[in-house]
Amino acid sequence: MIRRQDAGWWLLILPAFLLMTAFYVAPIAQVLAISFTEPTPGLGNYERLFTSDSVQRVIITTLRICLITTALSLLLGYVLSYRIALSSPSAQRWWILAVLVPLWISVLVRAFAWVTLLRRQGLVNETLMATGVITEPLALVWNEFGIIVGMVHYMVPYAVLPMLASMREIDPRLLAAARGLGASRFTIFGRIFLPLSLPGLLAAGLLVFIFSLGFYITPALLGGGRTLMVAEWIGLQILDLLRWGLGTMMATMLVVAILTTLAVFARVVDLRRIFGGGA
Amino acid sequence: MQSFQQDCVELALEKFRRGEISRRGLMAGLAALGAAAALPDPAQAQAAQRLVMVNWGGIANQGFGNNYGKPFEAANPGVTVVQDSTGPSAGRIRSMVESGRVTWDLCDSSATSAFLLGGMNLLNPVDYSVVDRANVIGPTFALEHGAAPYSFSSVLVYDSSKFATAPTGWADFWDLQKFPGTRLLRRDAAGALDAAQMALGKDIASLYPLDIRACLAKVREIRRSLVFWTSGSESEQFIRTGEAVMGQIWHTRAKVLEAESNGRFKFIWNQGILQPGIFVSPRGNPGGALAQRLLASMLANAAGQVELLKLMGNGPTNPNAAALVPEEFKKYNPTEPANARVQVAQDGRWWGQNYAQANADYIDMVTG
Repeated sequence: MIRRQDAGWWLLILPAFLLMTAFYVAPIAQVLAISFTEPTPGLGNYERLFTSDSVQRVIITTLRICLITTALSLLLGYVLSYRIALSSPSAQRWWILAVLVPLWISVLVRAFAWVTLLRRQGLVNETLMATGVITEPLALVWNEFGIIVGMVHYMVPYAVLPMLASMREIDPRLLAAARGLGASRFTIFGRIFLPLSLPGLLAAGLLVFIFSLGFYITPALLGGGRTLMVAEWIGLQILDLLRWGLGTMMATMLVVAILTTLAVFARVVDLRRIFGGGA
Repeated sequence: MQSFQQDCVELALEKFRRGEISRRGLMAGLAALGAAAALPDPAQAQAAQRLVMVNWGGIANQGFGNNYGKPFEAANPGVTVVQDSTGPSAGRIRSMVESGRVTWDLCDSSATSAFLLGGMNLLNPVDYSVVDRANVIGPTFALEHGAAPYSFSSVLVYDSSKFATAPTGWADFWDLQKFPGTRLLRRDAAGALDAAQMALGKDIASLYPLDIRACLAKVREIRRSLVFWTSGSESEQFIRTGEAVMGQIWHTRAKVLEAESNGRFKFIWNQGILQPGIFVSPRGNPGGALAQRLLASMLANAAGQVELLKLMGNGPTNPNAAALVPEEFKKYNPTEPANARVQVAQDGRWWGQNYAQANADYIDMVTG
């Protein structure tokens, strides 16, 4: 039973709750409902998940890019966080600044910057050709490689922040004690540091993966029109092809995929702790 | 129909004019009615006579404003024509009409969208008792649900420094032996498939209907050597930075490339795909029938169309315009008779019926 003073607290969030329902949940539900009503009422759009090659291809491409992006961002992010967590407090400030600065630069600017670097006559190809490493320019952009480079670059700060937070909570005396007991550096890392930083790693993975699923600008700019991810595909269906049923079906699947990912992770780790609530 | 509240506002205003209540009293009264915002001011008195034209941004605001809007305002005192550069995609027009809150009068759209949206009963049919069919150079420029005050073309552009001989048509575009290098196409079936059909050797005079399956297979042939653009600036960039050595891009962008590179990048009119710049009027538009008169004036104004050609490169569609085009601009005018003769007028009707499926298949092929 809710006690009287608890009910008071619930009343406090009631306006926010109503606002969210009226202006966020209800319109989204309305849009998602189109997937069941267009072009004919029924599950026709969802049937395409199993019958249409193009729908399946978009989903597989998106999942592949997201998984690779997540893996690479975690790897780079982990190394970075490890380095930051073990450095002196003043050095830490500079490190964190260096991680955060790219986060504040517009995603559009960063995508264009990668284009200038990676294109046929870009800095990377020109340098490699001038030094004689290659004779023909490499295809570094307008393909999945380019998309992944751009996305990893965007995602690394999002991977670093939760991991760093969790690494900072690790008691350095544990590491010292292990060393004192004669453990090798690999043992210390593998049996103490890594397990203790695992919640941060999972949180970062979750954050990066969910972010990647809905990525729009970077794939659109670096994919050269040839690699379609889910978000751009939905935009195409809704804005240009007017197949709203199909577009909203995919949007529904995106929401479902995100909620499922969250639900699965919630069983494995304590989400409230990861996202900083109810510590 | 007037609501009670509107009547109260009217009464209060009358009293204010007769001096029976002070301005402060009036405002307080209106505020109490929740109607202060409804106070008629000069701008709102004209609201009924205001038309909203929607374009895709860039210098279109200035170009369309000066050459379509201004002349109409001058001929119809009390009417204002405002420009909006939100980008009237077919999806936006559909959601606006279906939500019942239409704020646009005339939208810079396309033939395929005109057929697509018109077929869904989302557009006002063009009233040809107001709009004169004789004011355009061909039937593809005056459709049931839209008409074109300008034209553009998808032309073959190439990097002349890369080839000893110049390409002359889409067959050369597909010839990777004779003209090696990456090709550039728009990620849109309309245009690409028309070119593929020409490369397949079909007679240009009877190009339509396109054999979609054969055209898609033709594009698939050179798939590994293709990059795709989705916006005009992107298309320019691909050619300028050497990502592609030959491409199908809009003539306006091709002109910029040719001028900027002192002729290194060249384009040809031969087998260009001439398309109408169709303006459509969403059903339930706020300006009502006045929008038809604006459209009629845009089609009739040959001089304005020529000014637009000078500013943005859009080809005039009025039959009298070609004679007004200065010599130095003729070369870049898609509807200049000499240029129009060697191009193909895209069949908007065929595309309207086949666009959705053909484009979905095209995108599948491109991304596969």
